[in-house]
This record gives sequence, structure tokens and C-alpha cells, in this order.
Amino acid sequence: MSAPRPTTVSDRIQQIPRHYVYLLLAGVVVWQLLFPIRLPITPSVPTRGVYDAVAAVPDDKLIIITTDWDASTQAETGPQTQAVIHACFQNHKKFVIMNLQPPMGVKLAQDLAEEAAQEYGAVYGVDYANWGYKYGYENVLMAMAKNIPNAIGDDFYGKPVGELPLMQGVEDIQAIGLVVIVTGLSAMTEMWVGLIQGPYRTPLAGAYTAVMAPIYYPYLDSDQLKGMLVGAKGAAELEAMVDRPGKAVAIMNVQSWAHVLIIALILLGNLGYLFARGRGEGSQP
Amino acid sequence: MNPDLYILWAAAIATLGVYTILYRENPISRLFEHIFVGLSAGYLIVATWTLNLEGKWWNPMIHDKKWYWIFAPIVGSLFYFIYSRRLGWLARLIMGLFFGTAAGTFFRQFFPIYSPQIYACFKPLDYQAGMGIQGVIFDLLLHNWIFVIILLTVMSYFFFSIPHEGRFGRNLGRSAMLGRWFLMIAFGAMFGNTVMARISLFIGRMQFLLKDWLGSLIPWFATRGL
Repeated sequence: MSAPRPTTVSDRIQQIPRHYVYLLLAGVVVWQLLFPIRLPITPSVPTRGVYDAVAAVPDDKLIIITTDWDASTQAETGPQTQAVIHACFQNHKKFVIMNLQPPMGVKLAQDLAEEAAQEYGAVYGVDYANWGYKYGYENVLMAMAKNIPNAIGDDFYGKPVGELPLMQGVEDIQAIGLVVIVTGLSAMTEMWVGLIQGPYRTPLAGAYTAVMAPIYYPYLDSDQLKGMLVGAKGAAELEAMVDRPGKAVAIMNVQSWAHVLIIALILLGNLGYLFARGRGEGSQP
Repeated sequence: MNPDLYILWAAAIATLGVYTILYRENPISRLFEHIFVGLSAGYLIVATWTLNLEGKWWNPMIHDKKWYWIFAPIVGSLFYFIYSRRLGWLARLIMGLFFGTAAGTFFRQFFPIYSPQIYACFKPLDYQAGMGIQGVIFDLLLHNWIFVIILLTVMSYFFFSIPHEGRFGRNLGRSAMLGRWFLMIAFGAMFGNTVMARISLFIGRMQFLLKDWLGSLIPWFATRGL
């Protein structure tokens, strides 16, 4: 049975067809993408923590960037990975990309790393590398803690990682100065904290989709994470810090206006509800 | 035609196809949804072989004469005995092994994950404790006081063993009510983050459609500040 047709203004406000809401949102997004009104971006404390953690890594140690994401969260995790890569290159830190799940993450991150490497004149195998997708979750981490070349085996291109110049002297987890977990999946951080950060005191930083980020604030408070990027907002802040405004800055600009629309719609709906209740038309929203 | 252009058009058509769901459930969005799931599964199989099994299992077994690796798939295939009524106990062997390993690993992770967070809950609330931090004494103390009040009131909300009657019980009830409000505020903030994440994904797709796809047809779109 279909809902009764709205007869009063307050009813109409409360029963705006969802297609109109979608169209309004799409309109705001297209408008701001094509004719942006720029808003300032100020790096937050968790974002500054990520940058400071990268900068603090000793020169003889590697940074691991775990790219546990795929196309479904690429809008947030892609710019996060890119900004972290820029932070590594700008601070002259050597890094490796790897992931435990899903496998597309290493390919998408490799494209971003190659693009940035061209800009900084960095060389694969010397300044950065890709350890590839490694299946086995906790088992991979426990094996890495003891012997990295054995646990990783071959890199993304099928070459034994032990033969890469940047792997000289890299034996176990003590050679790692920081792990940046860029992920759209829960449980990855818990694995790294439980098996690597806790037992071996290897510093960790996280970059999460905005949906999952609230879970990880306690990890910041307990210093288990040195910093955190929260969704596209965190990516935009780090892009601003490394002076490479890119997709995330554009996203956050549009995002702010989309939020204004959503807040206006929520207020409108509630006003309609209050008017209806004031006229004694029941309490149905 | 440039192969990249085929990929661009395929991605644009797939994006628009999936977004037809916004109008209503339809076969086009279903088709592209299934293609996406199929591609992901296919990629997973290929990547598992090329980036893991080939280098770590197949090559050592075939080229390095490590013949004992042949037992790995035999042991792994024990899972499939779940379908046999007579030999189902073989599947339980391998499942038991996996459950045991998972439990052991979880126990190993538990304390490193949670004990620092429990320890971090004990925050200094006196003026002296804030003296060591330059210039943020008030902020730190305020932050710590807010944290501890929220922690205690929320914990009291989950304390069900004492009825909210009598002097102590009524005060516990007030604390629980305050804790409930704090929980609602926290859930609201989390939901706000969820909205932000969903809109980010939508904007990401619109960036692709406008800058990459339409930009390849009409250069003006590619020049906009996307």
C-alpha cells in the first residue's frame, strides 16, 4: 500500500522523494567540482602525528606502507596513500609497499608510487619497493618479525626481495622504523598492534576510511598509533602539509558544501515535523 | 583507438550502470554489480597464484626439488571431507588445527592490544600533573576531566546489578542517564563520519566521470580544479 499523498506544506517537507535528494546532492557535488569555492584546510593533531612519525624515522630504517584497500574505497585510501608516499619522498625516507588483503591494493599503490617517483627522481629497488600481496594474515607478520626476506620471498615483479639494493641489511622487524597502515578493512590494525607494535615496539600510524576511523582514536590516546589520517579529510590535510593539493583537497572542498546541504535537509525535515506536531497532526515523522 | 580509452569508457559505463540503482532496482545495476564481484574474485585467484603460490610453493616443489611441498595441498584438501558422512572426521582434524592456531594467535595479540588502552584510561586530574606540558595545562586537564567523567558515566550505564532505587541507586541512575547521553553523542559523531565516508566515495566517482571521462571528450572539464 502506497503512502498517503501529502496535503500540507509540513507533510510535503517531511516526504520529499529521495530521488530529489539524490539530484540535489549530485547538483551540489557537480557545481563545486566545476566551480569550486575554496575553503581553508588546517592539519589536525592526528594528521600531524603521521607526518612527524614519517619524518622521525632514522635514515637506516625502512617504512612499510600497507595498502589494504581496493577500488571500493579508493576515493579515500588512494589520496591517503599518495600523500604518505609524498611525505616519504620529501623526507628522503626509503619505503616499501605491501598488503595482506585485498590483492589489488599493491597494484593501485604501485601506480601512485611510480607517478610520485618520477617527480622526485626516485628509483625502484633503491628508494622504494613493492613487496606485493602476501597471503596469510597473522602468519605473515609473525614470520616477518623474525626474517623479512624469507617471509616476503619475491617482490611485486617476481624478483627475490633480498636482491633489491634497499634491502641490504634488512633482516628482521628491527630494520623497520615505521608501519603506515592504509586500510579500508577492520582487524588489520589490531594484527599489527598485537603482533608487531606491542612485542617489538615498532611505531605504527594509521590511515582509515572515515567510517572506521572512530574505532581507532583509543589507539592514538594510548600511543599505539603515532598518528592517524581520517578518511579524505586526513588525506587532504596531509596533502596540504606536503604541499601537493590533489584529489583529497578537491573532495573535502566539495564535501563541506555537501554537508551544508545535508544539514539543511535535516533541519527542514525536523521543522516539518515540529509544525505538524504543533498543529496536533500526530507524532509520525 | 588507444587501449586506455577503452578502459576509460568501460569504467565510465560501469560507474553509470551501477548508479542506476539510485532510481530503482534494475537489471543493469545488477549486471555491473556482478561483473565487479566476478572481477574481484578472478583477480584474487590470479594474484594469489602469481604473488604467493607460484614463488613459495610451486617453484620450490618443481624447480628446487623440495618434493615435501606436495603434502601442503593434500593436508589442505582435508577440508573437503566435510561433504563425506563417513570420512567427515578428517575435515575436523584440519579445522581443529586452524581453530587452535587462531585461538593461540588471538591470545598472543590480546594483551598488547588492550592493556595499553586500559593503562591510558588512568589520567592525571590534578594541576601538578599538567605542569610538565608546555602551555597546554588547561587543555590537558580539561581533556582528562572530560575523558574520566565520560568513562565513568558510560561504564555506570552498563552496570545492571544494582536497582536504581534508594540514595545510591538513584545517583547511579543519574550517572547512567548521563552516560547514555554521552553514548548517543558518540554514536552521532560516528554516524557523521559514515556520511562523510559515503559522500567521499561518491565525489571520487564524480571526479572520475567529470575530469577523466568527460575531460577526454571535452577538454574544458579536464581543466577545472578537480
